Parts: sequence; C-alpha cells; structure tokens
Amino acid sequence: MQIGNLLGYLVTLNPKEMKNKMNKSTSPRQKRSAGPKLIALALLISLTALVSGCGKDSASSSPDTRKLKITATTGMIADLAKEIGGPHVQVTGLMSAGVDPHLYKASQGDIRKLDQADIILYNGLHLEGKMVEIFENMAKKKTTVAVSDPIDRSLLRSGALMNTEYDPHIWFDVSLWMKAAGTVRDTLIQKDQTHAEDYKKNADRYLSELNALHKEISEKISTIPESSRVLVTAHDAFGYFGDAYHLKVMGLQGISTASEAGTKDVTDLRDFLVENKIKAVFIESSVPRKAIDAVIQGAREKGHEIKIGGELFSDAMGKEGSPEGTYIGMVRHNVETMVSALK
Amino acid sequence: MSDLWIIVTGALVASACGIVGCFLVLRKMAMIGDAISHSVLPGIVIAFLVSGSRDSLFMLLGAAGIGLVTVLLIQLIHQSGLQSDASIGVVFTALFAIGIILVSVYTRDIDLDLDCVLYGEIAYIPWNTLQLGSLDMGPKAVWGIGLALLLSVALIGIFYKQFKLTSFDPTFAAAVGIPVALFHYLLMSLVSVTTVASFESVGAILVVGMLVVPPATAYLLTDRLGRMMIYSVVIGCISSAAGYYAAQFLDASIAGSMVSTAGFLFVIALLFSPRHGVLLRKWKQRRILADAAAEPFV
Repeated sequence: MQIGNLLGYLVTLNPKEMKNKMNKSTSPRQKRSAGPKLIALALLISLTALVSGCGKDSASSSPDTRKLKITATTGMIADLAKEIGGPHVQVTGLMSAGVDPHLYKASQGDIRKLDQADIILYNGLHLEGKMVEIFENMAKKKTTVAVSDPIDRSLLRSGALMNTEYDPHIWFDVSLWMKAAGTVRDTLIQKDQTHAEDYKKNADRYLSELNALHKEISEKISTIPESSRVLVTAHDAFGYFGDAYHLKVMGLQGISTASEAGTKDVTDLRDFLVENKIKAVFIESSVPRKAIDAVIQGAREKGHEIKIGGELFSDAMGKEGSPEGTYIGMVRHNVETMVSALK
Repeated sequence: MSDLWIIVTGALVASACGIVGCFLVLRKMAMIGDAISHSVLPGIVIAFLVSGSRDSLFMLLGAAGIGLVTVLLIQLIHQSGLQSDASIGVVFTALFAIGIILVSVYTRDIDLDLDCVLYGEIAYIPWNTLQLGSLDMGPKAVWGIGLALLLSVALIGIFYKQFKLTSFDPTFAAAVGIPVALFHYLLMSLVSVTTVASFESVGAILVVGMLVVPPATAYLLTDRLGRMMIYSVVIGCISSAAGYYAAQFLDASIAGSMVSTAGFLFVIALLFSPRHGVLLRKWKQRRILADAAAEPFV
C-alpha cells in the first residue's frame, strides 16, 4: 500500500502530468507520459529492493563470538589457514572442490564472503586472473595477502618468452608451499596478537608435517625407475612438482586450461611415449580428458599400449571430508597414483 | 553499499547498451556485441607482446583498438554489399582465429585468454575503486561506463535526427544531404567503445545480453524510436535491480541472473504486448472467427 502511495506521489511529480492535470484532466496528451512513469517505477523497484537488502545486511552482522574471519580463494589456501588458525579462525573458501580457478565464476554470495572477511588470502601470480588486480586494490583497506608474495622470484618458474610472468601452481612443490604457510602464519599473528602463541605452535606442527611430506615424496618417486620418471598430464600444472622431485613433466596444453592442444602436440607426445615405452598417462580432476584420450588412441595404433594411470588433483582438491580434501591428502594421493602406475 | 554499487553498475551498463542497442536491432546488427567479445582476442595478445604485462590498462587499450577495427571492417564489408549478419560473421571469426594463432605461437606458456585478462566480474565492482589522493571516488567501473554512457547520450542527443534517418532510410538520408557513411561509422564506434569499456568491468554475457534483449523487448512494445530507447533503458534497469536480488536469492552469478531477468521480461512482452503480443493476436483471431461464425450469411 505504501508503494502505491509513493508511486502516486512520484507520478504527480512529473511536470507534464501536473500541467495536464491543471489544464484538462482528460487531455489525450496524457498518454505520452508513459516513459517517465516507467522510469519512476523502475527507480522505485530498485529503491525498495535496495532498502530491503540493506535491512537484512545490518541484522546478520551482529557481533558474535569473535573469530577471525578468513576468506581464501583456492581450497589449498583455505586448508592452510584452517591448519594454522585452528579454533581461532573461521575459514571460507571461494572456489569449491573440483573447480578450475581459471574458469571460476563468482556468485552473489561471494560478495558477502569478501566483504565480511577480516583477512583475504589468495594465491597470486595471476592464478585468479583479473581478480588479482581487485585483491591488490583491496589491500589498501583490508588485510589482503598473496601467499606467493614473499617467495623469492628466482625460485619460481617463468615462461620461456617472458620472464616477468610466473607459473602460479606453486603448491606442488611442498618446500614452496611451506613458505606460503609461513606467510599465512605471519599474517595471522599480525592481525591477531592475542593468539600469536597458538598460531606459532600450529604452524610449527604443520610445517614439520609438510617437511615430512616433502621427504616422503622424494623417497617414493625415487622408487620409480629413472627412465620411467615421466609425468604426462593434460595441462602443465605439475611443473614445480617435476622440478622438485625430478620428474620429466609433459603437458598437452599450455599453462592455461582454456587453450587447446594442437595436432602437432598430440603426435609429438605420442611419438615420445611410444619411443620411451612410458606405461601410463594421467587425467586431472579439473580438466577434461579428451586430448589425453587422443594420445592413447594414437599410441595404440602404433602398437604401444598406454593406460590411464588414474586421476590427479591439479588445480582443486577433492571433496571436503574425504582424505583428498586436505592439501596433504591430495598430494599423497597424487604421488601414490603416479608411483603405482609408472613403476 | 556493495549492493548499491553493483546495481548502479548494472543499470549503467544496461542504459549504455540499451541506447545503442536500439539502433543495432533496427539495423539487424544485434549480435555485433558478441562479435566484438570474440574479435578482441588478437588485440590483447598484441598488447601483451608489446607491453610484456597482463595489466588491465594495456589489455583494455589493445581490446579497444581491435574493437574499433572490428566494427569498421564490418561496416566496410556491409557497405560493399554483403548482408549484415554475414559481414559480422566473417570479420569476427577471422579476427578471433588470428588471435588463436597468435596465442599458440607466441604465448603458449602463459595464461592469456579473454576470460582471464580482459573480462571483469560485476561481483567485484565495489572493491575496484578509483582513488584520487586519499579520496575514495567509488568504483572505477561506474566512472568508465558512466563516461561511455554520457558520450553515447551526448552524441545521439545532438545528432538524433541524423542517426534516426540513416537507420531507417539511408537512401532518403543521403538525398537530403546527411553524410550517411560518417554516421554509420560514428554509431559503430560508439558501440565498440561502450562494449569494450563494459567488458572490462562486467564481463561478456551482461554486455552482449543488454545490447540485444532490452531493445528487442522495447521493439515489441512500441513503434517509435525515441520511446523504444526509453523503454529499453527502463527494462534494462529493472532487469539489473531485479536480477541482482534474484542472484542473491539463488546465490548465483549476478550477470547471469540480470540477463535471465531481461529474458524473462522479453517473454512477458512477447506474450502480452498490445501490438505484437502472441496471446493478444490469438485472442483477436478467435474474436474475428467467432464474429464471422455468429454473423448470418449475407
């Protein structure tokens, strides 16, 4: 009813209408003012919608038990924040399990997740695409940290053509990920001094776990005969993994999951696999397997049987609650899959 | 505050696209927005190769340059006698293909695709603000798209008669001495500027959608160009506000919800429009048949 009143009021505000009313109320010219009336209606709808939206907003942000609210972009970073923050933080991830960060689409709920966060953690190095620029802008007002930021650029892989752009998949070298863990720890301590001791303790525990994981991977990979240490996947997410644990990594696509494999890539890879008698290739959870299937088919025609070694987690972790839903579980799954298929 | 900025940005995009979109619908060039959204690929690759960075300013410049090339080529080919849809198809597929070749030859080892370096996301508009010294001037997108809108409104306002005549009856326009080609190119450049500026802040689907759907809806509701533009802007603004709250309700993509809302309004107009409405026409037909049946043979 209020809306009706207000609408009537707005409509009478329209000067043409007022003139008409003053002159002759039944003028045929009245029909012409349909446009402005519609504009008023549109404004009104947006206005009432806005007011209702704001009302809900202020009600939900009542001061609850103060936990540090952290919003992380990828599941790997969210896991890091949970491990180090422990009970003092509440972590929300933007990208859920199985989502390729390159192709991630924001939803309306993400606005609130970013708005209400005390700390925003992201990977950086352009993994999140254009979002990285937004985060850099947000850093002026809010604690917004790229976990890759403090890593020495000389440790990063850069493209052959441009050495200002780096490979963002740092989490596959556990030693680099330990540096990211250090960044998260320092950020938490800086933001929340009162629990500094706990954060330090958690981080130390987690870092020693990561350290053990790092050694474990090296040992396991070294059980694969040297000539078979070739990792073939759909896209080049495992560059750091190969460098750190001495595997030759071959991808079909470029770094981006959006670029497509060329025919020459497929035949080159097939010939390499046939020549070196590589037993298995791998598919990835967040990348379609079409190109890999083409390679297998090609090798079969040349008389060499290649099997699919299993599914690797590359840009996203497994489902929450499953063993692969944590960073350590995911890496362990990848390594075990590789070892059992290539050995 | 975030809600307000997003709705305002959506409404600005809808208005800027809605105004130029009316001319495109009338000229049978409605899909030109989609064409530009693809054809700018070589622009960003070239911009990256020249500047060596994926900074959005360089990307925007590259895209704007190729955007202009796209519309000028389309207009040129169209004027030499090919149908408008075919000229759009030829130009954008050719440019996009060149872009793919450039990516595969020069930039294989970095992530360079339109989604990642050019297209913005309307959800993040509120945080990408313009800082003037210590003063917060609001989101950059509002300024960028606002300027594009202002430019369109100013140019179309000043040359309204010329734009109208050249769109409806180019031969007559030429006969009365209006430089028809100039106004075609001017309109096309406006389209290019508006779309590329909007792509950069809100992404492709919202721009392509708002360029076509609200003008098409307005087309069903009126036969006058001026009114069609007003309706188109109003429908676009309602779509962006209502679409935003639909996105909130569904926790879904904002741009997607806004365009879907516009599509929903289009369907309503298609069914119930007083002049072209499907239902109304059916009803009228039945009336006529009933009348004819009721009437005794003469």
